[in-house]
Amino acid sequence: MRPDFYDFRLWLLIGAVLLLAAAFAAPRWTLMRDGYDVLVIVDVTGSMNTRDYSAEGRPVSRLEFVKSALREAIADLPCPSRVALGVFSERRPFLLFEPIDACANYAPLEGSIAALDWRMAWEGDSHIAAGLFRAIDMARELNADLMFLTDGQEAPPLPASGGPPFEGRRGEVRGLIVGVGGYELSPIPKYDDNGREVGFLRVDDVPHENRFGLPPRGAEEREGYNARNAPFGAAAAVGVEHLSSVREPYLQSLAATTGLEYAHLVDAPRLVKSYTDAATARPRRAEFDLRPSLGAAAGVLLFALYAAPTHFKLPSVRKPWRKRTATAQPWRRK
Amino acid sequence: MSGLGVDYPFVLLFLVLALAPFARSALRPSSISSLTAAPPDLLSRVLDSGLTTCGVIAIAASLLGASRPFLAGAEIERIGEGAQIAILIDRSGSMNETFAGKTPAGGEESKTAASKTILRRFVDDRHHDIIGVAAFSTQPMLVTPLSDHLAATKAAIDAIDRPGLDYTNIGRGLAMALAMVKAGEADRSRAVLLVSDGAGVIDPKLQDDLRADLAKMNVNLYWLFLRTAGSPSIYDRPEGDDTPQAAPERHLDLFFKSLNTPYRAFEAESPEATQEALRQIDRLERRPVRYFEKEPRTEMSAAFILLGLFAACLLLAAKFAEIRLVPGKAKP
Repeated sequence: MRPDFYDFRLWLLIGAVLLLAAAFAAPRWTLMRDGYDVLVIVDVTGSMNTRDYSAEGRPVSRLEFVKSALREAIADLPCPSRVALGVFSERRPFLLFEPIDACANYAPLEGSIAALDWRMAWEGDSHIAAGLFRAIDMARELNADLMFLTDGQEAPPLPASGGPPFEGRRGEVRGLIVGVGGYELSPIPKYDDNGREVGFLRVDDVPHENRFGLPPRGAEEREGYNARNAPFGAAAAVGVEHLSSVREPYLQSLAATTGLEYAHLVDAPRLVKSYTDAATARPRRAEFDLRPSLGAAAGVLLFALYAAPTHFKLPSVRKPWRKRTATAQPWRRK
Repeated sequence: MSGLGVDYPFVLLFLVLALAPFARSALRPSSISSLTAAPPDLLSRVLDSGLTTCGVIAIAASLLGASRPFLAGAEIERIGEGAQIAILIDRSGSMNETFAGKTPAGGEESKTAASKTILRRFVDDRHHDIIGVAAFSTQPMLVTPLSDHLAATKAAIDAIDRPGLDYTNIGRGLAMALAMVKAGEADRSRAVLLVSDGAGVIDPKLQDDLRADLAKMNVNLYWLFLRTAGSPSIYDRPEGDDTPQAAPERHLDLFFKSLNTPYRAFEAESPEATQEALRQIDRLERRPVRYFEKEPRTEMSAAFILLGLFAACLLLAAKFAEIRLVPGKAKP
């Protein structure tokens, strides 16, 4: 009564027994997995209503597109990830809630994202640089990375002297500025006091030049210039501020100043990819159930035990034994 | 509802593999020319079918264990206390001041910081509630929808002591809170808890809308008025004109009272008074509700794995018991 150690089916069986024993003895395995902590700030100012994205063949507004992309992207973040949500308008972000576990609380998180609306904006202005810098401060306080979704349209336009200076440390907070909107200029919908859409913004609805601070260089050349009474010239500036497209170079320059990354919003998978490339992965404990894999492997080995060819033997290394078996099988010598 | 279920149903498709032992044997082949050479033997037949069964069980149990089967916990109907509560929080700038109307300094607590700790405790005590949070200043904002995810509700409450915004547009905030509880389940008691340190004038058209909305719904309205020292109480008549513009708090209170809705106002002038008010609300909002509690499910993976292990061990024993058939010496 001696087992044939050259019978590889014996080893299949031993393997299956070991796998099953392991699955029974240590069913779970704690391992470190990369999660992300993200503060998502969504621009809800008027220009985000521009319908220059399309979904299922219909034009959708930037804000709607951002919402659907965010819902998908957050669902795709690896599981121990935490998400905080805020909106941006005027010159600051407004935090709706502090970071919550996105996997355990996906339902309310999705509800909050679905409820994002341009009507949340407490003021019509959109000082993006100022809002971004404060959002960076907020992300640092929350110990999270930043995802700032905006079309980059400053309203009113920045003064000739440029935007506000960045006072934080460059690169201290990591994250992503997401440029939202098409590259072509599109009209911005206009709403009345009751929130009903009434056509589009026209040229004379918005200021095209910021007249705070010092006039730009060369203003003396303008028609009707008067150093005291009309330092910006007599004629109102006319530009394309009533139309909107994603201001990519501006957002890229903001990204360069603050040490964030920049990406254009195309779809959710690319958003997740750009974000995970730009953000800090935070290793967290995650429990991993080993039983499905170990049990399945044992099942496969056991099946192979029956399905395998019966005459296959492992190559022998111990010659003398082979010799002895040969002598013990006299009928084979015939 | 209780029942069996698996986490990975596709694994069950491979259960057909468990039929393999009927077709083949796991044991070593022997060079015996005919089975009829051996006499029929009951013990052999029992052993043979036993080993086949062991093989079937080993494969099937391993795969079943891999599919993570469970026995779903029964849903038990309980009678408890609970409600659907929309907490509507004023995020105007003045909420960040202390009850004395100053910027917090030293150990002082701002109105939002005080209400944050107290609201957190309030939420903690209410396990069976469905709670949503809305905020308002110039515009109403839905922060978290009605849900039983306490963690989300608390994260929303944690955010309220950040710098507030501009004005107090109470009417639109109320409209949003009502819309939130309206969307919830019909057979639970509903409540709107308004936390603010001031009031604004609700424009008459919106007043009518609110009145109509409230008449259709069965909502309990609570107003927790965080009163700054020296500011008028909701019960004070102003000395001059008694108009909504002169005394918005008093007129909001009068408006609420004019509704056919259960309503209570709590005036709190300190963190302690705030806590006391919330304790009262907690007591009032404890009407029996039916709710279903799910018992935790019973995992059955381990049992199947153990069964598979046992069967595989028996097979292994059989494998170790294999002997080489050596023809006996031919009798002379």
